[in-house]
Amino acid sequence: MKTSIAMLAVALACAGCETTGLKMPDLGANLTALAKAGSSMGVGSGKQDVVAIAMQSGQKLKDATTDITEEQEIVLGQGIASNLLGAAPLLQNRNVQRYVNQVGRWLASQTERPDLPWQFAVLDDAGINAFAAPGGYIFITRGMLARMNNEAELAGVLAHEIAHVLKKHHLQAIKKSAGMSLFADIGSYAVASKTGVNSAIASNLAGAFKEVYARGLDKGDEFEADRMGVVIAARAGYDPYGLPAVLQMMQAFSAQDSGFALMFKTHPPLADRLVLFEKLMAASFERFEQQPTLAPRFMTSSGNDRKK
Amino acid sequence: MKLLLCASLGVMSCTLHAGEPAYLVRATELKSKPFSDAATLVSLAENRKVELLLRQASWTQVKAEGTTGWVKMLSLRLGDPTAPRKSGDSGMGALFSAAATGNSGSTTTTGVKGVTEENLKNAQPNPQALKVVQTYSVNKKEAHQFATAGRLTPQKLDYVSNEEGTK
Repeated sequence: MKTSIAMLAVALACAGCETTGLKMPDLGANLTALAKAGSSMGVGSGKQDVVAIAMQSGQKLKDATTDITEEQEIVLGQGIASNLLGAAPLLQNRNVQRYVNQVGRWLASQTERPDLPWQFAVLDDAGINAFAAPGGYIFITRGMLARMNNEAELAGVLAHEIAHVLKKHHLQAIKKSAGMSLFADIGSYAVASKTGVNSAIASNLAGAFKEVYARGLDKGDEFEADRMGVVIAARAGYDPYGLPAVLQMMQAFSAQDSGFALMFKTHPPLADRLVLFEKLMAASFERFEQQPTLAPRFMTSSGNDRKK
Repeated sequence: MKLLLCASLGVMSCTLHAGEPAYLVRATELKSKPFSDAATLVSLAENRKVELLLRQASWTQVKAEGTTGWVKMLSLRLGDPTAPRKSGDSGMGALFSAAATGNSGSTTTTGVKGVTEENLKNAQPNPQALKVVQTYSVNKKEAHQFATAGRLTPQKLDYVSNEEGTK
């Protein structure tokens, strides 16, 4: 397993250098590290050979309906998560990190993929944003956490990101960006790497991930995550209006505000999203009006009560 | 505490605090209580400016011309509809960054070292940080205990399709 992943990794890294002429922070390097981490920490693809899985799924993809396997999705997600962690450091506060994981894991437990290795983390970043990576990695910035008032708002934002993972929005965007054949190519590419590197495929893969995160998802995917997010929050027992409340707060800011620049660039207009919530929630969410926001627990656990 | 936080950071970013301006996107009745069948105190016109006080689920308590009552949260947009829109950066991010990190020494014009498109494209993978993230993980049992402690009761509810949601 290690060997296979390492070969894939080396190939990816080289391909990135070759095609862009830049010192690419490659997915490949992550995968090398992850292959090592996986064996000692029980993460990654477990006992199965990732490349073998990739090949199986490559075959299946030719039927044009099936997607990559969950194991592949998790390994690829770890690579993306590692890159996101290269863009911003972790908040150095274990209690806050654990708290966000408790909220997030409870939400994820109410979904159709409760057993993914869900991981949540707060990035030490003043910007206002949240990110999801395939396989169950969810990130929220310190700046966003600091502007929230209660646990229901945190739950709403995490649930939106969880929905992106459930629906594999990023994988689909990457496929679209790099070509439908990308994942199918992983299989044949693994074979090719034994004799020679297929750099075109590898650079497509590494580049596509970065592009998707900088450009954002389709508007339709964001709306879908909004629709699912309020449902997941309601299922978990929270006041489901946390997500709309956070978006309403953000709408007060101009798109030019520096802390929001990337969020505005990569998401549909907030006004449109608020209109969607109004239509969506008017009918069927009244029965959840009395569910708690857990503001006191949030203020203590998020560290917001210590900021003066 | 929330007011203190908002004031001290010099930021109008808190979701709600007294006096924050907002306006109505449609004509709305100001209710005495956060219920549809509560008594109507006064009718408010579209674009009517109000002050935000408090949110409670789908309702927001507001003050309009000295009268305090409730309107649906999503009939409100934050900000002042009559104020000219600034084309540039409000500096709020910069203020926030300085307050939150104690470091205002950024050399960028925006003042915030947030995650940017450039950051993402140039990011170096950080597998060490990823290992740290894995130490934060919570299992399903722990999550359930956490929910019980917060008296969160799971509910049954299906996802809403696009068609249903936009009827």
